[in-house]
Amino acid sequence: MLIMRHELLLIAITVILLIVEIFLPNTQKHKIILPAILLMAAVTVIGFFPGTPGVLFGGMFQSTQLTMMFKNILNIGVLIVFIQSVDWLKQDQNKEKISEFFLLMLATLIGMNYMISSGDFLMFYIGLELATIPVAALAAFERLKEKSAEAGVKLIFSSALSSGILLYGLSMIYGTTGTMYFADVAPLITGVPLQVLAFIFFFAGMAFKISLVPFHLWTADVYEGAPVNVTSYLSVISKGAAVFIFTIILYTVFSKIAVMWSDLIYVVTILTITVGNLFALRQQNLKRFLAFSSIAQAGFILLGVIGQSQLGMTTVIYFVLVYIFSNLGAFGVVGIISNRTGKENINDYDGLYRTNPNLSLVMMLALFSLAGIPPLAGFFGKFFLFTAAAKQGYYILVLIALINTIISLYYYLLVIKAMLLNNSDHPIAKIRSDNYTRLGLLICVAGMVIIGFTSSIYEMVFNLSFGLY
Amino acid sequence: MTTLQSIPIQYYLVFCSLLFSIGVVGVLIKRNALVILMSIELMINSINLLLAAFSAYTNDPAGQIFVFFIMVVAAAEVAIGLAIVVLIYRTTHTIDINVLNKLRW
Amino acid sequence: MSAESLILFFIVGAFLVGFAIVFSIFVAPTSTNPQKAEPYECGIPTEGLTWLQFNVGYYLFAIIFLIFDVEAVFIFPWAVVMKEMGMIAFVEIVIFFFVLGLGLLYAWKKGALKWE
Repeated sequence: MLIMRHELLLIAITVILLIVEIFLPNTQKHKIILPAILLMAAVTVIGFFPGTPGVLFGGMFQSTQLTMMFKNILNIGVLIVFIQSVDWLKQDQNKEKISEFFLLMLATLIGMNYMISSGDFLMFYIGLELATIPVAALAAFERLKEKSAEAGVKLIFSSALSSGILLYGLSMIYGTTGTMYFADVAPLITGVPLQVLAFIFFFAGMAFKISLVPFHLWTADVYEGAPVNVTSYLSVISKGAAVFIFTIILYTVFSKIAVMWSDLIYVVTILTITVGNLFALRQQNLKRFLAFSSIAQAGFILLGVIGQSQLGMTTVIYFVLVYIFSNLGAFGVVGIISNRTGKENINDYDGLYRTNPNLSLVMMLALFSLAGIPPLAGFFGKFFLFTAAAKQGYYILVLIALINTIISLYYYLLVIKAMLLNNSDHPIAKIRSDNYTRLGLLICVAGMVIIGFTSSIYEMVFNLSFGLY
Repeated sequence: MTTLQSIPIQYYLVFCSLLFSIGVVGVLIKRNALVILMSIELMINSINLLLAAFSAYTNDPAGQIFVFFIMVVAAAEVAIGLAIVVLIYRTTHTIDINVLNKLRW
Repeated sequence: MSAESLILFFIVGAFLVGFAIVFSIFVAPTSTNPQKAEPYECGIPTEGLTWLQFNVGYYLFAIIFLIFDVEAVFIFPWAVVMKEMGMIAFVEIVIFFFVLGLGLLYAWKKGALKWE
């Protein structure tokens, strides 16, 4: 099969949707929803057929079993986001822009696919930008709301700043090694001062994208202002793809100066987990709450990165997979409630279980999974991450992470308590969700439960990660 | 030895670092959205110059090709940024980013 | 490259530009009225501030122009290597223009090219 199959298929459906959009009259825009979702589902399914690994463009594009699997994970995530957004897209304010939503999402997905398959800093940069720039347009999607436009501005400015910083690092790497290819750069990284500086710039740029702690300030504002479905996309899929390629570059290109970046990541991990958790404690708005919780989760992911081992790589991918289902489940519930009632605060969820038992159950499962309670998938994700870090001897780090898990459990339980135990005079009225929303939430729940019980998925990831670092 | 190479590479590094720093400071302290966009351009252009200089010194064209792509990507970035700034201007009638305070923790 | 081809280039270039100008004279709608013939800025005070802000429409045009203009950066390197690469280069540029054309068509269809 074709080496670039995932990308070509996505480009094909993007072009098809664009042509359809151009020739579709304004009153018929809603008809694009079902075909778009079906096309995306088809691409997702085709992606699972075994493909041949290979290298294209003289090494600029490299496809391995691992990247193919990660692209499949991303495809699933985007498909869920698509399904969850239907309810929101059908609102009056979005009626004219339905296909733009799909087009921009697909554009970012194509960018991510190229980014994670890159074997060269040029391809990496183009993919990264293609994955970032359309998201700003998506964040400003509800253009009549000031908050949404503000989120868009903040996102585009901070991402432009961060990619500038990242590029500055890349230019220095190029200056010291004279090449852009990962494979050629790697042996030439010797830790001379300019390279160290370059690495710090590169790290700062990537930390912006993943929203690690000293660089996280844009995250909460953007997550709160952007439409819920865009927020879920940003927090799960953008972040997952960025973490993946970040790990690969650290393991392959900068493996020679691993001693240095291990220390850096050690500090950043502690900061990220702690600050993310402490700020999540005091949030009232659920989107903001989930934003800070996702910052903390990004910190947990770094636990797998730090060890530089096959186990680490495996746990990172496994955690992203689990995280997609858990976080999309939580955001799905927040999304439908926000769309129907406009309520986003934790207090508004008082007594949700009485009126909407199914939604609160999904929310509860998702939050339990995020907190890492067995037997849900989130537990195994975190457990493996801790194991990976502990095996490399980072016991204090694991201990701090464990303490933070307990803190996180507290604030996740606050939401669950509000839904299940608190009484409210004005609970959120019963919401009749449409079939799309139900399907989206069902997939998330199924993912959380099934992945938790099937160890074969973990073993598959483990085998694919072999020989990468 | 070409004219470009007769200038030591350190000069380029220092000059580009200065330009880059001016750009970063501009992004961080300026309150006008358009000036921020211009500062971002300054950052990007300093990087372009640095890449071109490195490319000339290592006799490797990859750096200059990178510059092309950076230019295009920067244009796309500015286009989106400008579009959103226009959007903000339409609702608030100012491009001072201090009005962007609806989102606070 | 010999001098003849350079001269030919200039002649063809001048012809094309001249043709475009002359063509637009014939095609463009023209209207004359007394206001148009009046002298501009002759003792008549301007109304309001002269530091006018540009119409927002300028920005939209500028954005679209910017995007399509910058794409030219890819065409120059392509033109340099086109002869050596042959058919592949041609196919690639056709795809490139197809995508660009789709973008333009989209902008047109959305009314972004209309001056309001």
